[in-house]
Amino acid sequence: MSLNEQLKKDFSTLTLALMAVAIVLNIVLGQLVSLLKLPIFLDSIGTVLVALLAGPWAGGLTGLLTNLIWGLISDPVAVAFAPVAMIIGIVAGLCAKYGLFKKWWQAILSGAIITVALSFVAIPIRVYMFGGVTGSGADFVVAYLLATGKDLFSAVLITVISNNLIDKVVTALLAWGIVKGLHQRFTARFPRASAVTE
Amino acid sequence: MPYSLYLPGNSWLHRLHPLTKLAFSLAAAVIIFAGPGEWLSAALPGLLAMLLLWRAGLAWHVASVSFRLLALLSCVLFLVHGFFNPHNQTILLALGPFAIGVEGLAFAALVVLRLAATLFASLLLVVATHPAHLVQALAEARLPYGLAYLLGSPLLLLPQIARRVQAIRDAQQARGLETQGSLLQRARALFPLAAPLIFSALVDVEERSLALEVRGFSAHHPKTSLKELADTPPQRLARWVMLLLAGLLFIAGVWSRTYGGR
Repeated sequence: MSLNEQLKKDFSTLTLALMAVAIVLNIVLGQLVSLLKLPIFLDSIGTVLVALLAGPWAGGLTGLLTNLIWGLISDPVAVAFAPVAMIIGIVAGLCAKYGLFKKWWQAILSGAIITVALSFVAIPIRVYMFGGVTGSGADFVVAYLLATGKDLFSAVLITVISNNLIDKVVTALLAWGIVKGLHQRFTARFPRASAVTE
Repeated sequence: MPYSLYLPGNSWLHRLHPLTKLAFSLAAAVIIFAGPGEWLSAALPGLLAMLLLWRAGLAWHVASVSFRLLALLSCVLFLVHGFFNPHNQTILLALGPFAIGVEGLAFAALVVLRLAATLFASLLLVVATHPAHLVQALAEARLPYGLAYLLGSPLLLLPQIARRVQAIRDAQQARGLETQGSLLQRARALFPLAAPLIFSALVDVEERSLALEVRGFSAHHPKTSLKELADTPPQRLARWVMLLLAGLLFIAGVWSRTYGGR
């Protein structure tokens, strides 16, 4: 299949409508979780859902646009982390493509893989653009580690990995459960969903 | 959390072409984060944005929104860097085992200034531009229609879905759902709140795509629009000048950071 055909198949009208809704879900769920004061973000569940249903490219684009729009309406910090959100979508989509989202324990493994991949992008951004502090609860962990004499890079490394590991595993599990729970009439309309449902 | 920041109105800022405002926001963001001379590059675009907003009578609104969004982050930044920044050498104030350092405070101030300036510039676009007009302008500029839709549609969807979150929350609380208390209790509240939201939103997707198709979303020939966006040659020129200036300052910034002995 040529690239053009693949793009057309990956970005059908249905997929575009899904992506628009997923972007809003990312933002709204991020808010909902901070309202419940839970120690996770859950702001990439829409991204992972799109990645599972419509492939890595649609997932990556969903993540990227989520953070751009988020930044536009309320939080400039989010724009700087747009590459991170994109990586989450791409890696989740690749995991699904290679059959790592079929069982619940595979979803947990995929969550861990996503965490490792995003750290490569998230840590430099956090350290060099914001000096390690981004206004989330994780800042206190950074502060604590700095106070115990760690240098900024390792303080951020430990914080990013530990925070994201829980968050991404929960996100991957939830997204897996949702795709499994969706009616087959719906998932059958997404060509990539079969990698998860079958 | 404000979900729709657009303020309907008819100021001169509202009447500008959406792409002109978009070009300003993009150029400002690039200059603020990558321009040469950290403080000046961060302060000037922010001041300019505020001046423009003030001329349009929107300055107070933008200032109060920005304050609400940045207040908490700023406090954390000043605290963490004031106390724990590894570059702290000059001690301002010693409090028992801890000390507030000048270098950390200066760094935190720079980050806050950058964030505030970027927010002013991006709110200049958001507050005075209807999302639908932004989508239309992007599509008219030959951006693939699907991408223009993805940039604009979430802005229109957000208030709707935010209302739905409110309804779900009220309904679940009426059934006796605890959203406060211990961590376990709050974690348990997550599923009854998130699941109806996600599933109902996904059910909508199919209807939405049908509605789009019925309106010729993926048809290839050009579409006419009820609302015509006014554009003028000076604005077209201004957009290119702003983007060019941002490009030049970006290069200058990279240059001064590489060879400026930092």
